[in-house]
Amino acid sequence: MSDSYVIVGDGIAGASAAETLRQEAPDADITVVTDEGETLYNRILIKEYAKGKLPEAPISIHDESWYDDHDVDLRLDTLVVDIDVENDAIRTHDGETLAYDTLLLAIGGTPQQLPVENADADGVHHFWTFQDARRIKESVEDADRGVVVGAGLLGIDFAAICGAQDVEAKYLMRGDCWWRYALSEEGAEVMHEAMRERGVDPVFGSGVDHFEVDDDGHVEAAVDPNGDRYECDFAGVAIGLDFNVEIVEETPIETDEGVVVDEYMRTNVDNVFAAGDVTQFHDVILGERAQNGAWGSAKEQGTIAARNMIEHGSERFEWVSSYSITHFDFPFLSFGHPTLGDDSVEATTAEGEWRRVALKDGRVVGGVLIGDLTPQSAFKRLMREQRDVGDQRERLMKPGFAVDDLAPATEQQRRN
Amino acid sequence: MSLREQGRRTRLRRTGRIPPDAEVRHFDELGDGTQAVVAELAGRPLTAPEPRDLDDGDVVKFTEYYEVRTR
Repeated sequence: MSDSYVIVGDGIAGASAAETLRQEAPDADITVVTDEGETLYNRILIKEYAKGKLPEAPISIHDESWYDDHDVDLRLDTLVVDIDVENDAIRTHDGETLAYDTLLLAIGGTPQQLPVENADADGVHHFWTFQDARRIKESVEDADRGVVVGAGLLGIDFAAICGAQDVEAKYLMRGDCWWRYALSEEGAEVMHEAMRERGVDPVFGSGVDHFEVDDDGHVEAAVDPNGDRYECDFAGVAIGLDFNVEIVEETPIETDEGVVVDEYMRTNVDNVFAAGDVTQFHDVILGERAQNGAWGSAKEQGTIAARNMIEHGSERFEWVSSYSITHFDFPFLSFGHPTLGDDSVEATTAEGEWRRVALKDGRVVGGVLIGDLTPQSAFKRLMREQRDVGDQRERLMKPGFAVDDLAPATEQQRRN
Repeated sequence: MSLREQGRRTRLRRTGRIPPDAEVRHFDELGDGTQAVVAELAGRPLTAPEPRDLDDGDVVKFTEYYEVRTR
């Protein structure tokens, strides 16, 4: 009898696992269950659709025939309501039981709603799925004035959507700059200026106390904690994700903001694995538990999980992720864990070029590059090598930095 | 991905119209080496050896949309 694998989730993590399983276990039974009504699409391009820059078709990655061609049993619009790890089975909302030998949870997250009055009003949007992108596009195309909330990597997509759709917007931030956990005010100002050029005005020391609605229940203003009122007929809220761990909370599977896995993507239950945004994984480079929502990381986790589902211990997840912002006429890229570390070094390296590198115990753990992405490979290499560069931190700021700009690694560092 | 001829070179041509049948790749989908090539060629009249994970005719979303031309 062939092995049976059930994958919950058809995002890039679940889909890359299905592809890997089919390649490396040709006779296996593979079932993919998703609560979405459509097959795998390119989640990092849906913002381009919402901006009105890209038609729908190129965003699809797998059509339904892909699953037939690869002998994968696909269940769309199917919500998993229970996981029975004692009996190796999941149950769906329509009462079906699906048995498995090995289970993969690639169940992602759900955008958090602001805990304020009228946060669910018409015209207030959250952004995660392709369906969200369709609703946002339709709404923003009819809008004149927008408000954006959430000063991070997801919030800036809403700002870019407003800019691309000629909606005058206020970007309400609680702190004194965008992505204050990874950027200094100097670096963030490059981003603020790019927003302003697109008609999106950052407002600092702000946020949302409540939304006001018209007689039809449509948003008409956001009021910040200072009492300042910002009229809007479109609002985008991106304050973070709640990871979809409800279905495992009644099981022995360990959770901690996400599903906890080891470096092989396995949970504390031997035949249950997890991959993608939802995982709290052991980062072998960082040496501690981490979480990462980048596309490349999720894809790699799906691949690694699949290999270990076939043969546990076959391959570790060892990855330096990166995430870019391509909305402006200069590139922005964050890599590794730029919000972590106990030290950092930053510099404006040329006009319009800025970088910051985060260090922990003298080792690079992440950073941000604005304008010049050339040093990306060098910084990722230093992370993988876990090289102590604490006494040469200023050299990391050299324009066009390469690893050869550092003093040669000592034997001790090479052993590390 | 198609079989590769040796010695071909790639350039990027900025494009504004994305046809529905285009293969569109976001910068974040590309490997580090291909990202370096895209960052180097975007907006410049330069060529580079054909990167491994881009085909002739693909469209890349970087700071603009760029069509991959490989000869």
